Amino acid sequence: MKSLELHLTVNGEEKCWAIAPGDLLLDVLRREGYYGVKRGCETGECGACTVLLNGKAVNSCMMFAGHAEGAQVMTIEGLGNGTKLHPLQEAFLDHGAVQCGFCTPGMILGAKALLDRHPDAGENLVRETMAGHLCRCTGYRKAVEAVLAVSTPPRKVRKQTAGGKR
Amino acid sequence: MFDQVEQYHRAASVAEALRLLQTGKGRARVVAGCTDFALQSDDSVRILIDITRAGLSYLRSKDGWLSIGATTTMADLEESSAVRNLAGGILARAAASCGSVQIRNVATIGGNMAHGSPAADLAPPLVALDAVMVVVSPAGRQRIGVGDYLAKTKAPNALLAEIRIPDGPSGKRCGWSFQKLGRTAVDISLVSAAAGLEVDARGKVKWARIALGAVAPMAMRADETEKLITGRILDRGLLDEAGLAVRREIGPISDQRASADYRREMSGVLVRRALQECASQSGWPL
Repeated sequence: MKSLELHLTVNGEEKCWAIAPGDLLLDVLRREGYYGVKRGCETGECGACTVLLNGKAVNSCMMFAGHAEGAQVMTIEGLGNGTKLHPLQEAFLDHGAVQCGFCTPGMILGAKALLDRHPDAGENLVRETMAGHLCRCTGYRKAVEAVLAVSTPPRKVRKQTAGGKR
Repeated sequence: MFDQVEQYHRAASVAEALRLLQTGKGRARVVAGCTDFALQSDDSVRILIDITRAGLSYLRSKDGWLSIGATTTMADLEESSAVRNLAGGILARAAASCGSVQIRNVATIGGNMAHGSPAADLAPPLVALDAVMVVVSPAGRQRIGVGDYLAKTKAPNALLAEIRIPDGPSGKRCGWSFQKLGRTAVDISLVSAAAGLEVDARGKVKWARIALGAVAPMAMRADETEKLITGRILDRGLLDEAGLAVRREIGPISDQRASADYRREMSGVLVRRALQECASQSGWPL
């Protein structure tokens, strides 16, 4: 297989990796040790592989690595600074929004992209974002609460009945 | 997963993409967001030609046409004021319904049309709006009506470069609607419908456009239903008639998501809802 060079910035660090032309961004990131990028459904349904590409949430399982040439990529490892967590990470802990944790990196990155564009995002926007992240442990309410707590001004989830309208 | 792929090119122009396509001899594939391609197990493809940097991401309004570059994403369409203001925003609404945020950030209008899924979300609005596809090949640029484009086999050495939408019919008492039924907010459509109409001062339908997705081999105009309601007074009875008529015009299939019967039933419901929304927008609420 002819290999090619991929130049990109991951979490602020410039990288140059040898990749195969058919490599997916998910494969390359995990191979390089970014295990926060999860391999889930591999069909763009579950959102566990979500990374930010130039600030936008994308499914890395459906993107060829070559597409990311020259791009700024952020994975969950790029949030916080090693000792201090990002406010969204704090909020997920405070609200008990993490159970097994498999969907969490994707959810937090999706929420970050949302709040970067809409710092005042309300519940509708947050739920629209969460539609691209499947949680198979418990559900979405705690995660939605966590994101709304970081929105400006902080908001609470509206009262809902089970299966109620969004 | 795509071990068979031997080359990945980021074409810097349409000309470069066409040249690569020629040299690929049928084993090259033009790709953009890859949200459809990455799901296929087509192992004949050896060369990928990424056209997202070929200068095809744009929206331009000129001389009564809205021109949309093929690699314009669903997210771009949702956010564009030109698209939101066109025909009640039905194309923007369809784009906003096309999968999750992550999908919409990369999936493109060109890919949605070129892939040719019967359930392509943008197809019903583009069919209802009489869109024109601009296809480029070594022989030159060709303009093809959206219906013909969907029906024809795609030339292997050509690529879809632009989608053009005419200003189209409008008027004082005009209304448009896009309706989609899916299992979840992000699932592919079971049935989708785009509609537009104009009524006169007494509520008589001057013209109507009705297009449906996922209920035939490709998105289709419901010509018979359009004819049925044109010239008639728009009332609840007419909505019922239209809902019944459209069920006779379509040819849905059964698959893992829904039975043909269910799709047929829901086509009637969606067309009824769409026409009702059109009516209310046109100032003739029912």
